This record gives sequence, structure tokens and C-alpha cells, in this order.
Amino acid sequence: MAKVLIAEDDPAINNLIFINLKLVGHECIQVFDGDLAIEAAVIEHFDLIVLDIMLPKQSGFEVIKQINNTPVIFVTAKGNLNDKLKGLSLGADDYIVKPFEILELVARVEAVLRRTSNVSDSFSFDDISVDFKSKQVFKSFIEVILTPKEFALLETLIINRNLALSREKLIFLVWDYNYEGETRTVDVHIQKLRNKLGLENRIKTVYKMGYRLEL
Amino acid sequence: MKMRFWLKTYILTLLLFLICLNVGIFALAYYTYSKSVDSYESTCSSEQFYIAKSFERDYAEVKINNGNASLLMISYGEYYAKQNINLAFLRDNEVLYSSFLDDQIISTVEQKNISKSIKQIRVNGSRYIYLSYTFGENADSFTMLYAKNISGFDSEWRSLIIIFTVTSFTISIVLAVSLYFVLKKLSAPLEQLRKTTDIIAAGDYNTKVEVVGQDEFSELAKSFNKMVEQINRQITTLELNAMQKQQLVDNLAHELRTPLTSIHGYAEYLQKAAVSEEERIDSAEYIINEAKRLQNISEKLLNTDFIRNNEITTEELSVRTLLNDAVKGLHFKAEQKLVKLINNAEDATILGDSVLLQALFSNLIDNAIKACVDNGIVEINTIIEDEKIAIIVADNGKGMTEEELKHITEPFYRNDNSRSRVEGGAGLGLALCKQITDSHNAIMKFSSEPRKGTVVTVYFTTS
Repeated sequence: MAKVLIAEDDPAINNLIFINLKLVGHECIQVFDGDLAIEAAVIEHFDLIVLDIMLPKQSGFEVIKQINNTPVIFVTAKGNLNDKLKGLSLGADDYIVKPFEILELVARVEAVLRRTSNVSDSFSFDDISVDFKSKQVFKSFIEVILTPKEFALLETLIINRNLALSREKLIFLVWDYNYEGETRTVDVHIQKLRNKLGLENRIKTVYKMGYRLEL
Repeated sequence: MKMRFWLKTYILTLLLFLICLNVGIFALAYYTYSKSVDSYESTCSSEQFYIAKSFERDYAEVKINNGNASLLMISYGEYYAKQNINLAFLRDNEVLYSSFLDDQIISTVEQKNISKSIKQIRVNGSRYIYLSYTFGENADSFTMLYAKNISGFDSEWRSLIIIFTVTSFTISIVLAVSLYFVLKKLSAPLEQLRKTTDIIAAGDYNTKVEVVGQDEFSELAKSFNKMVEQINRQITTLELNAMQKQQLVDNLAHELRTPLTSIHGYAEYLQKAAVSEEERIDSAEYIINEAKRLQNISEKLLNTDFIRNNEITTEELSVRTLLNDAVKGLHFKAEQKLVKLINNAEDATILGDSVLLQALFSNLIDNAIKACVDNGIVEINTIIEDEKIAIIVADNGKGMTEEELKHITEPFYRNDNSRSRVEGGAGLGLALCKQITDSHNAIMKFSSEPRKGTVVTVYFTTS
């Protein structure tokens, strides 16, 4: 759970980022120009700012100079190297180029948050509690032993909670390689997770897509 | 072999001139020389005749007085030897007397069977004129040989040749030097032109050839400068076009990415998230709206491209009808934004394409409505004067700064990103208007003040 400021002038894209970050459990505030972005950042503390470069009134480059120590991910249609370098040299933590995929956005937000803020290293839902640091899972305070792959799969599902992940995507994210054909491994591991943690109702099979952890 | 034109001219002219000069000089010298030799020969001839006659007379006297003929010959020989004349007397190939220094001469003469005619003979490096005279019966049929050394002519000829050679040499040098400078000076503009051409060929199109004088070279230089100017202009135009195209493509890429990101994102959201009915409808609406935005961009792009590449068809149109139609089409939009539309258009006939002009006026009025904030008023006026018609669309909206005014007809330019996107603009409207006015030879002028409003005037010249 992190607090994220979304500064993007295009309402459609602003809303798109908003609904997706909300879906994976972040609290978001939306602003539509540079002035409002600075104002919001001064009043409240944010764990992360998702900042468009081409903002009206004050550009993202100007905004980042005026906010202190808040991690920033630049979002822009400009994909050229100069802008990227300029953004990173001004202290941005990451850079995402339009058009982007939801999963990419979520992954980058997660990565920056993990790296920069003291967001808790644990996650709980129902009677289950997960400690990402020690890689331990407890169900009703009793530790459930998971294999490393099972744990990685659970972590991926939690990060992308409420979003359906295809079997191919899961293989890429968990097993870390591109895999086209045999996806039975994923099914087997999902089945084991469901059985061990009693997640039959939480990990849903999505038609034509894959699996989704619904919270 | 690479050789400059002026150098070729120089060498050929010099060569030709020297040949003519020398041939002329030597022909003249030789003519003079042979003339003087001829006249000298006839002098010799009469001298020999005089000697012969005088000897014949004296011999007849000596014979009457039984004197010694040999003495007579000797006295004649010695007397004339002093005058550089050699005499010899022969009878039947027997030499009776000779003042010749060399007997070989006589034998040469005999061999050549010289009679009365004048001959020149060269013996041991000296030249002689020879004449023979055969006396009649009363002088015992002697033959008198007369020879005069004319080696003097040779040396005279030699010194003549030396004089001519020196003269010719001097003239040649003077000519060579002066011709060199004259030709170099004359061909200097050509050389200058060549150097400038090289500079221009290397890509510097701002270089100019210096125009001097009024000859063909200066005309060539003028034409050349004109050509370079023309090329320069065209290159500038092409570069500008290319730059604008590049900018258009850059902007287009940017403009396409934003709606594409939305469409992709919401579709992905619908696919991956467990969405509520409300979220489903909202997402679908975003997808539809962004798709419309793409469609809008593509249509306007096609339009601008269409006008740019095609001749328009003109017909006589009523200005008032065009403006009334445009106002009617935007009436609803104006009401929604609480903008008051005032149409004061007077009627006049205008030549143009009805669809394009309709689009032009609609766009201008639409922009004016969009610019309005509170208590918006959009006023449409016409000024009709003889053949000229001005159509004025004025609003009391947010206005623009001078900097913004400069860019408004550029494709995809938006003076305020968020607001005009909310209004649904693609940033192509005024670019399209510019194309339409250009294709109608009309002029579109903007004047604006921030927070006070904008006035757009389109000047048409009918005819």
C-alpha cells in the first residue's frame, strides 16, 4: 500500500493509471497540470509521483526540480534518448514510455517503491500473512512451507493482484524465461498454491487469459 | 592534359604571330637581298661589257702596231685586280693570262661551259659572279673570263639576318610578355567564376560572383548569380519543407501515442481486471472516444494533404449563406457553453469551394467558441468593399500571447494542452484553415490579447 501522485494532463491516461494502481492496492491522487502537482506534493507526503513530462503550465522537468526526495517515474510519449537522460539526471527513478502495458507500469511502480520507500515487507489477506523478506508464509499463524517457485508465484500474484496474468506472462515473471508451448507447469504450481493455502476462491482461472488473485 | 583556356589562347596566338612575323621578316629580307644582288649583277654585266669592248679596241691597236698582246692582258688584269675584278684570257681552252688566284676556278668555269650568261659560283667559301665574253675575228677569238668576288654580299646578308633575328626575338619577347598579361587580365573574370563555382559546388550557396564591366563575362556572372540565388531559394524552401514534414511526423507520432496508450490500456484493463459494470462502460467509453480522436486526426491530416495536392473547384457562393450555415451547425455547441453567437454578416458573392469554405468558417467559429470562458460572445462581421471581402470572427475569450500566435497554424500546435484536449481538438484545425485560405489566395490574420479575446480576419479578393 503506497500513496501515489499521478500528474498527467490527458484525462484518459490519468484515469487509466489511476484505476490500475488502485487495483493493485495503491492509494492515488490525480492532478492534471504542473502547478497542481507541486502544490499536492508540498501539502502531502507521497511515496511516488508518476509524472508526465509534457504537462501544461509547468513541465515534468520543472516539477521534479521543485519537489524534494519523492521518488519519480516519468511517463511520456517522448521516447528519445536525450529526454530519458535528462529525466534520469534530474533524479527520476525510472522512465516509462507511451504506449505502455499495464503490467509494465505496475512492475516499475512496485520496483521503485521496493527500492526507495520503507513500504512494509509483508502482506496480509484473509488469514494469510506473507513476509517478502524472509520468504515465509503463514496461514492462521502457522507457517506453510512453499518451494521457492511457489513463493515467487505467490509474490507475483500479490504484486499484480486483481489483474489477470497469462500463463506465458507468469512463466516469464516467475521462471524468468520466454516460454511459448508447455504451460502445464504453471497450472501445477497454481494448483499446489491453492491447496496449500486454501486459495481456491481467491486465485481465479480467467477465461482465455490465465490466473488472477482477487482481493 | 589540363590546360587553361587563356593559356591555350596565349600559346596559339603567340605561335601564330611569331610564325607570321618571322616568315614575313625573312621574306622581306630575302626579297631586298635578291633585288640588290640582281642589280649588282647587271652592274657587273655592263662593267664586263665595257672592259671587253675597251680590250677589243686596245687589242686591235696593239695588233696594228705589232705590240705585245700578253702585256696588254697583264696590264688589264693588274689594273682590274685592284678593283677586285679577276680577269682571264683563253683561246681554245688554253689559258693565255689569268689573274685568278686559283686555277681551279677556271677549270670549274670550263666544266660548266659558261657562255655569256651570268653565273654565280662558290669556290673555297668565296662567292663570285662570272661572265665570259668571246671576242670576234678581229680579236683572234679570245675568250675573256670576268669574275667579281661578291663575298661582301654574304657578310651583308649575315649581318642582315642577325639584325632581323634580334629584332624578331625582341618583338617576340615583348609580345609574349604583353600578351600574357593582356590575356590573363581578360580571362580573370573566367577564372574568378571558376573559383566561385568550386566554392558553390562545395555547398556554400551564399557565395556570389563579382560582376565587373559590361562584357559577356559579366553577363555570364550575372546569370550565374541569378542561378545560384534561385538554387539557394529552392534549397531553403526544400529544407524548410523537409523540416516541417519532420516536425509534422514527430508531432503525429506523439499525437498518436497518447490515444493509443489509452485504447491499449483500457482494453488491457477490461481483459485483466475483474471489472464492475460501471467500470466496463467507462472503459469502453474511453476506448471509443480515443478511437474517435485518432479518426479525427487522420481525417484532418487527409484533408490538409488533399488541399495541398489538389486544385480546388471554384463556384460563385454567397458569403451570408456560408456563414449562416456555419453558425447553424455550431448553435447547439454555443448554447451548451453559454456563448452568445452574433451574426452580422452582409451578403456578397465569393469565388471558392463550398465544402472547404464551410469547413474554414466552421473551424474559425468553433475555435472562437472554445476560447470563450464566462459570458462568452462570438461576433461575426463582414466588410465588403468593391472586389474585396473581409470576414471577421471575434471572441472575448482567453486570448493568446504573441509567441502563441506565431505557432497556431502549425499542425498539432496547441496553446494549452489540457484544455484544448478536453475540448476535443486535434491541433489541426487552424493548419487546415491555413491550407484552405492559401488555396483560395485569401489571407488570414490573427490579433489577440491574453484574457481579452482574439480577432481572426480572412481577406478574400474575388475575381
